[in-house]
Amino acid sequence: MEAFLLLVFVIIFLMLGVPVAVSLGLSSIFYVVLFSTDSMTSIALKLFEANEHFLLLAIPFFILSSTFMSTGGVARRIIRLAIATVGPFRGGLAMAGVFSCMIFAALSGSSPATVVAIGGITITGMRKAGYPLPFAAGVIANAGTLGILIPPSIVMVVYAAATDVSVGRMFLAGILPGILAGVLLMLAIYIRARKLNLPAQAWQGVGEIISAARDAMWGLLMIVIILGGIYGGIFTPTEAAAVAAVYAFLIANFVYRDIGPLKGKPWRKPNASYLRSVASNILLTARGLLPAMIHTDTQTAFRDSARTTIMLMFIIANALLFAHVLTAEQIPQMLAELILEIGFEWWSFLIVVNLLLLLGGQFMEPSGLLLIVAPLVFPIAIGLGIDPIHLGIIMVVNMEIGMITPPIGLNLFVTAGVTGMKMTEVIKAASPWMLVLFFFLLVITYVPIISTFLPDLMMGKI
Amino acid sequence: MKLRAFIDHIEEYIISLLLAAMTLLAFSQVVARYFFNSGAVWALEATTTLFAWLILFGISYGIKIGAHIGVDIMVHKLPDKLQRIVAVIAALLCLLYALILLDASFLALFNDQLNARGGAIVYVKKMYQIGIEMEDLPIPRYLAYLILPIGLGLFALRCIQSLWLILCGRRSGMIASVDDHESIKQHTKTAAKPEAKTEAKPE
Repeated sequence: MEAFLLLVFVIIFLMLGVPVAVSLGLSSIFYVVLFSTDSMTSIALKLFEANEHFLLLAIPFFILSSTFMSTGGVARRIIRLAIATVGPFRGGLAMAGVFSCMIFAALSGSSPATVVAIGGITITGMRKAGYPLPFAAGVIANAGTLGILIPPSIVMVVYAAATDVSVGRMFLAGILPGILAGVLLMLAIYIRARKLNLPAQAWQGVGEIISAARDAMWGLLMIVIILGGIYGGIFTPTEAAAVAAVYAFLIANFVYRDIGPLKGKPWRKPNASYLRSVASNILLTARGLLPAMIHTDTQTAFRDSARTTIMLMFIIANALLFAHVLTAEQIPQMLAELILEIGFEWWSFLIVVNLLLLLGGQFMEPSGLLLIVAPLVFPIAIGLGIDPIHLGIIMVVNMEIGMITPPIGLNLFVTAGVTGMKMTEVIKAASPWMLVLFFFLLVITYVPIISTFLPDLMMGKI
Repeated sequence: MKLRAFIDHIEEYIISLLLAAMTLLAFSQVVARYFFNSGAVWALEATTTLFAWLILFGISYGIKIGAHIGVDIMVHKLPDKLQRIVAVIAALLCLLYALILLDASFLALFNDQLNARGGAIVYVKKMYQIGIEMEDLPIPRYLAYLILPIGLGLFALRCIQSLWLILCGRRSGMIASVDDHESIKQHTKTAAKPEAKTEAKPE
């Protein structure tokens, strides 16, 4: 079985410490050189043309908007809102951490970015309030994975690109599961907090909630623009992502003024009249527009986003190459025949899919794994009558778990970075909370309506 | 000294500019379409080409700063000496990846049974001879695709450089690890510094 060799190559390369992208690409190349008649020209061109998939173009824009949203101010305002709402429960700060991750996930399409933005502040806050560090780190590492489940989500964009499912549907489908996962995590925190006797925050009244919500509104408006724009038929998902990137730039620079030339400038000087403030703000914004574009903070944001984009897209391009070789060798068809011959039902097949993804998630980066596994299981799933949207959500939830399991758990990486803990400590801290996610995966797998209800309601059944 | 710092960061400037150009182009198209009811046919192709340039130009920079992720848990378990040997093999494999994609024909030297033909250089040469243009953009095709051999060539150079650094003991491997993941370190710095103080937490 020559195709088996393909897998062996990948695993050997990964173990040797070859980057994921090169491991996938090089094993595909070796396979072509040894067994196929494809010319290397067409393989090299795949690297160039992988990016011509219109949907994938949304990825750099989502990364960029997420970077601008991570500059501090937005996260701080979201956290204030979360503390005002769920803080008064026992373990309230940790619950607020989860709630903040849920809200931030609605502004950002990536999990590690969510951990960095929210974890940086909340973990310090929890420690000050007397929470054990592993407790705080474990909660945030897990809650951060919601970044890819609650729309917008880069992984969902990748799934949609791989299977030709509508991105709009996928985004809608992620909302209910995302809320459910957040509530489950908060429940688990509540139970643990009672046992560990962790503190609750003082109730600050409805006024504080409203005032915090108003303060966070400019950030929250972004999700309205993205989802509303897509469902209202105003933008394509890619356009929505580009608009979100520009919006996030404007908000960070000119509304919250956390970065850029207006940093720290107040909206209203004490004693200044209303009219005078309006005029001075218009003047400030107009004068700041060009400097903001070339400001050091903007440069840093663009550089960091470009780095993340390159790293991710290099993996995606090579995963597409890998999937191309698989398809050219008719491996999906062979696998489908085999699976149908064994006589899998939809529910038993989903067990196989989950095991495959959980195992693969240990060694692969989510988007890359998705691009490889989706073409393999998608046709079988459709044959067994599984809803493609439901399958997509199952895959995303598996990828979430993959992000907090070693060796390639990006969330573990960033949590270690944010807290200064060792990797092994973070793994230990995150694992008890992972049980919640496993339970959640089970629910999502066997209760399809949670995933399909919203998209079917809003966009009609397929 | 200033010039040297500039050259040291030139890749960062280029990738930042490419990303900025993509974003502005895509955004301006949305604006053009909804507010002025117009738009350029070539805009989409231009955006995707810029995207390809961003990625292909950036992959070598990714090797330079060690941004490409991989599995390092097994490698770290090995004794030091073996670790370095494995790192050398990994660097060589990365180099091989770039070389085969550039032009696979050198593989025939080892074994003439292998399917070794074509590659990025071959394609660009052919496009140069034929002289066709892009579909929508009025530029020659070979020019747009030139980034493929350039990017892979730079990638190969960075692999050789890393190989040298590994041999000298100044670099531990080809992939990002927590200890030297520059972007995470930076995130940590920015995330931990200003916000930890300014937060207002009811206690």
